[in-house]
Amino acid sequence: MQPVQKRGSKAPTVFTGIVLAEGEAPIFEVGEHIRVLTRSPIGHYRVPQYVRGKRGVVEAIMPIRELDNEQEAFGRNAGSKRHYYRIALPMKELWLQYTGSPRDGLRIEVFETWLERN
Amino acid sequence: MNQSSELLTRLPNDIGGLPGQPVKKVDHVLEPWEKRCHALADVLDFHKIINTEEKRRGVEDLGSEIDSAESYYERWITAFTNILFQKGILTPEEFARKMDEVAARYANPA
Amino acid sequence: MEHSTAVHVHSPSEASSAPLSYYEVMETAIQELLIQKQLIGAGEIRRQIEVLVSRTPALGAKVIARAWVDPEFRSRLLANGRTACEELGITFYDDTKLIVLENTPKVHNLIVCTLCSCYPRPVLGLPPDWYKLPPYRSRAVIEPRAVLAEFGTVIPDDVEIRVSDSTAAIRFLVLPVRPEGTENYSEEQLAALVTRDAMIGVVPATIDTARSRK
Repeated sequence: MQPVQKRGSKAPTVFTGIVLAEGEAPIFEVGEHIRVLTRSPIGHYRVPQYVRGKRGVVEAIMPIRELDNEQEAFGRNAGSKRHYYRIALPMKELWLQYTGSPRDGLRIEVFETWLERN
Repeated sequence: MNQSSELLTRLPNDIGGLPGQPVKKVDHVLEPWEKRCHALADVLDFHKIINTEEKRRGVEDLGSEIDSAESYYERWITAFTNILFQKGILTPEEFARKMDEVAARYANPA
Repeated sequence: MEHSTAVHVHSPSEASSAPLSYYEVMETAIQELLIQKQLIGAGEIRRQIEVLVSRTPALGAKVIARAWVDPEFRSRLLANGRTACEELGITFYDDTKLIVLENTPKVHNLIVCTLCSCYPRPVLGLPPDWYKLPPYRSRAVIEPRAVLAEFGTVIPDDVEIRVSDSTAAIRFLVLPVRPEGTENYSEEQLAALVTRDAMIGVVPATIDTARSRK
């Protein structure tokens, strides 16, 4: 690939043609509407049942990619990393009978492989 | 889904949203062995012998009956023991012999 | 079978003649076996106990007080909780990150770990038992207002409650609203108003806090 120098400025060199590895770029964006998946692992999981299948919004992308903690629990201490997302879920989405304020909400970090676009 | 599969698909620690008692503001000063147990968890993690997530999974593996019967740090030390067996670092025999040795030492202080 | 040399780990129970509990024996046995096998060093647990004992809510209180008086520190704290704590010498001995949750007149934050007991230990020390027991863990995410009321905290309906459930490598610390009437307080005096429970989010920080703090 050729470095592309912007003319007449001290802007940083921009490379074209760089290919990202699987999982390097976040799949979801801040503000995106997502749904937590509904699969049922046994043995270990870190996505509580009460949020599965629920719909919310990506509030933030955790900037540093991390291991899949569900795999880490079985000794997988290294290898591919993906993003965790801080998801905002309204309380009334989580609980049919929620009696607090309609503004109340939950925030929870969810690994990329547990989310899909809503 | 019958009852036993529910025991599998909902881990004993996955209690968010389940009915619960009023919060009693209990706390206790850790006993020395509990402090040592907590420090041991951190040291095991630093050495990548048992990482924090493995510890959590080990506690979950105890199952709901032991989970209810044991206290917080009792669960940890039991989980560590099981995981060390699983990883081939200790055997149940050497563990049991050491338990007897330690118990005898403190039953009959020199 | 290896002959075990007596690896004698110091235990305060040596001073007493009471037999150890089953789990105390277990902890001692595991520790000694690991040291014997040279998987951990003999002084490491003692050293880590010192690390843990040095982490108390006073550290968190200092972070909060600094954020109250220094708007630029506050911005840095909200942008990256861990690095801002490190500025004050509060190191993180583990791989966790910290998100500081800002309470405002419109938003009240509460932290919980429904699955276990995740807690910002490097900056607050060890969590109280109630935080780790089922009632708080199960109810904070479904009826936060009722739980807060049990702590004497009533949040008006027009204030949004945000409950953060820790599940991964992020930990949380609540930045309470600075109490009214503290305009002339020194940073030290402000820190004295910030309790552990206010940094969990079950109570606000108040001027009366210093009298009722644990």
